[in-house]
Amino acid sequence: MELSDREILHVARLARLRLTADELEPLRQDLNRVLDYVSQLQSLDLAGVEPTLHAAADQAPLRKDIETASLSVAEATKNGPKVEQHMFLVPRIMEGGSDDE
Amino acid sequence: MTSKKPLWDHDAHSLHDLFCEGAASAEEIVTSHLERIRSADSSVGAFLYVDEAGALEEARRQDRWSAVERRERPLAGVPVALKDNIVAQGMPTTAGSKILGEFRSPYDATVVVKLKQAGAMIVGKTNLDEFAMGSSTEHSALAETRNPWDVSRVPGGSSGGSAAAVAAQMVPLALGSDTGGSIRQPASYCGIVGMKPTYGRVSRYGLIAFASSLDQIGPMTRSIRDARLLYEVIKGADAHDSTALALGEERTVSQGPWRIGVPREYFGEGMEAGVRQVTEAALERLRSMGHELVEISLPHTPYAIAAYYLIAPAEASSNLSRYDGVRYGMRAEGRDLVTMYEKTRDEGFGAEVKRRILLGTHALSAGYYDAYYLTAQKVRTLIRQDFDYAFREVDFIVTPTTPDVAFRRGERDDDPIKMYLGDVYTVTANLAGIPGLSIPAGLADGLPVGLQWLAPRLGDLSLFDAAATLETQLEPMVWPMGVDE
Repeated sequence: MELSDREILHVARLARLRLTADELEPLRQDLNRVLDYVSQLQSLDLAGVEPTLHAAADQAPLRKDIETASLSVAEATKNGPKVEQHMFLVPRIMEGGSDDE
Repeated sequence: MTSKKPLWDHDAHSLHDLFCEGAASAEEIVTSHLERIRSADSSVGAFLYVDEAGALEEARRQDRWSAVERRERPLAGVPVALKDNIVAQGMPTTAGSKILGEFRSPYDATVVVKLKQAGAMIVGKTNLDEFAMGSSTEHSALAETRNPWDVSRVPGGSSGGSAAAVAAQMVPLALGSDTGGSIRQPASYCGIVGMKPTYGRVSRYGLIAFASSLDQIGPMTRSIRDARLLYEVIKGADAHDSTALALGEERTVSQGPWRIGVPREYFGEGMEAGVRQVTEAALERLRSMGHELVEISLPHTPYAIAAYYLIAPAEASSNLSRYDGVRYGMRAEGRDLVTMYEKTRDEGFGAEVKRRILLGTHALSAGYYDAYYLTAQKVRTLIRQDFDYAFREVDFIVTPTTPDVAFRRGERDDDPIKMYLGDVYTVTANLAGIPGLSIPAGLADGLPVGLQWLAPRLGDLSLFDAAATLETQLEPMVWPMGVDE
């Protein structure tokens, strides 16, 4: 199941990665080598084997649902690259603004 | 001072005693370690950040403590370093990546809260492979770290900075994190003690998540007694991490003799002759101490790396989706939101991180989930069962920690599979959730060789006890950049 450049660009899009042309070729080679290596798992008979979905499945304690102190809004937002009045600024989300190219 | 050797040449127990007895002040202890960092770290490069002012301020505060206040805190007077994927309030945290930019944590990780309560003095943050993805610390986007035993070689990884800092005696204690061997492998390469606790024994709140079903924080030290001390300080349940187990009974074992399992799959092709020699000598020593060596089989070991390199990237691709240039870290400008995300992540992540995000995203994507992720999780069950069966027969399992000694920098850059295969003896403990401890067992051609001890889940304390009996029988370690150099 070799990945083509097109498939890699599809996966990159899903992962919100923008790959440059010179990144694509080595990545395709590396990814296909890893996928070739992991394909050995297909040789195992896994009928009736339950997947391990948690390393310590017998315990996952919940805390009590009570209010506790947490970070202030100022502290929680101070690491944002663009913050105004304790809000994170982002570029526009919708298409079609007046400065659309 | 009662002893002539410099304070940085002491282990944590010894420093704590000197401080409690009043034989050394906390300020003297911190100053000695800061001087050591200044002289040794120019050639090693273990630290990304040293908080001189903060450590000295804490030391002066502790110097005002009474003898009782000092005794109450098991790490009073002891300097500690943190792998730079563990957050401490006010300090920068980079995870070895450019994408976190100028991030300074507004809160302490639970392990840092526990360290501070125990009196530890945090001196700084150590280098790592970006987001802990790597086995050499060469994938750090920020700095190069070299092995104190031979600066042309890697310290291992991903906790390579912590391992090198401890081995070069810049700190007696450091924390690392271990997802597939990232504490034990660099401990082995640098000749120190490194331990991955049972999954769930130590809270990960404040650890930058890589693969959440595998990650554990653990101690890196120069003696087993120090590793045990640090483990006891950081372990325990935490309302901020629902995977942190409520403190229960730890498994105990008799004083011995023990049945020690030696898995035949760990002694096959690919192990360097020097590693084999040191490992076999250590096993022979255990036999001569009266323990019974039992050859066992962990038959699914050959599939562990393949399962790991599907599960870990899949979880990483999900965990790393939070780095989007909005709430923290760097941002690359884009004309709309998606472009901004893509440019930020393209500029912020290094090649190995992108490789794993792509692999993980592919393994989880529609049409491939069953063939990759689900299959790997089933293989994980088989690996866990291998250990369940083995531990019905034996008290401990002993293996080499790595198939090789520290390799030369640049040697495995171009070959991800070869880099990944170096994790073959360590990833199984993460997949099974069991504790693993690497102790220095000797040298091969002047480079350290680690011996790995494995126990069943919650056998953490028994691992320290058992390995300590061997530690006393081995030649004491001579540190690579020691006093007499």
